[in-house]
Amino acid sequence: MPRSQRPSTESMANVLRVLPARWAITIIAVLIAYVLLQPRLNTWFGWQLPSIPAMLGQETPKTKNTPASKQADAKKQADAKTSQTQSSTTEKPKSSSGSFKFGILKSLGRDRYESPAGLVYGPGSEEGHRLQHIERHLQDDPTRPGSHGVFQGTMEQFLIAIDDTYRRARGHAKGTRTRNEEAETIYEAPFDESIGYLGGSSGSGQKNPPLKRMRVVVRGKNLITAFPIP
Amino acid sequence: MALPYLIYVRACPICKEGLCRVRVCTASHHLVGCVICDECESVWTDPDMETRSIEKDDTYTASCPECGLSLWDEACHWADIQEVCLLGWYDKVKVART
Ligand SMILES: [Zn+2]
Ligand SMILES: [Zn+2]
Repeated sequence: MPRSQRPSTESMANVLRVLPARWAITIIAVLIAYVLLQPRLNTWFGWQLPSIPAMLGQETPKTKNTPASKQADAKKQADAKTSQTQSSTTEKPKSSSGSFKFGILKSLGRDRYESPAGLVYGPGSEEGHRLQHIERHLQDDPTRPGSHGVFQGTMEQFLIAIDDTYRRARGHAKGTRTRNEEAETIYEAPFDESIGYLGGSSGSGQKNPPLKRMRVVVRGKNLITAFPIP
Repeated sequence: MALPYLIYVRACPICKEGLCRVRVCTASHHLVGCVICDECESVWTDPDMETRSIEKDDTYTASCPECGLSLWDEACHWADIQEVCLLGWYDKVKVART
C-alpha cells in the first residue's frame, strides 16, 4: 500500500524542513537510537515496541527461519487450511430455523455442533471436520476398493437418519445392534425403506444394491462416521 | 498431492467400511509409520494390526503412535510405495489404482 504511506513520510519531511537544524538533528539522532535499540529492548524485556517501518505501515512480516518457528508456521498454515475448509462447511445453506446448521445442529462453539439426540460433530478427520467427512457418503466413489455406502438425500436428511439410528439403537429398539470396541461404539439400525445404495468398486460390481440399514460410529458422544450398510 | 494409487492393508475390522491405510509421520528425525482406517480413524502401530494406538486426550484426533502429533497435521501423509518399502511393510499391503 505505498499510496497510503506517502503522506506520513512526506509530512515527516515537512516537519523536519520547518524545524531549526539543531532540533532536526536531535530528532534524527533519537530516531536512529530507537531503530537500533527497539529489537533489543523487545528481546531483553519482552516488550512489543513497534519498528519504524511498522509504525509507517511498511513492514512485511518476518520470522526467523529456525526449525521450531518453521514447524509453528506449518501448524498455523494447517490450522488456516482447516479453518478454510471448515468455513466452507459453515457457509452451507442454513434452513429457516435460523442459527441451526443444516436445520438441526446447535452450535456449541469452537466449530462443534450438537444434534437433537446429543451427538457432537466437531473438527477431525482428513477432511478437517466430521461434517465434511460424512458428506463423502452423499455420493458414490466407484473406483474406491471395497464398499462405500451412499446415502440418498440431503445433508439434513442424512443427519436426521444418523440421529434416528443412534437414538433407536441406544433404546435397544427392534432390529438394532450395538457393538463396543476398545475406543468406540458402533450402532446399527434398520429402516423401513431404502436409504441409499452400495457404492465403491464392490457396489458397482453388484449393480449398486439398495441399502436399508445405517451404521454410526461414535467415541463418547462424538460422531466419527456414519454410512448406510447392507 | 494425491497419489495415483491407494495403498491399503485390508478393510477395517472396526467400522467394516473404511480401508486401513499406511500413514507416515515425518515430525521426528526418522520416518514413523502406522496404519489408520480412512473411515473411522482407528489407528494400529503396524500392518499386523494387532496393537491399536488410541489417543489419550479427549480431542478424538487420530495421532502418531510415536510423537502424538495429529495424523492430519502437515507433517503426516499417506505413504507412497517407497516409504512403505522403507518401513519394510511392502509385503503386507495391497496397491489399488485410483
Ligand atoms: Zn474403520
Ligand atoms: Zn510422529
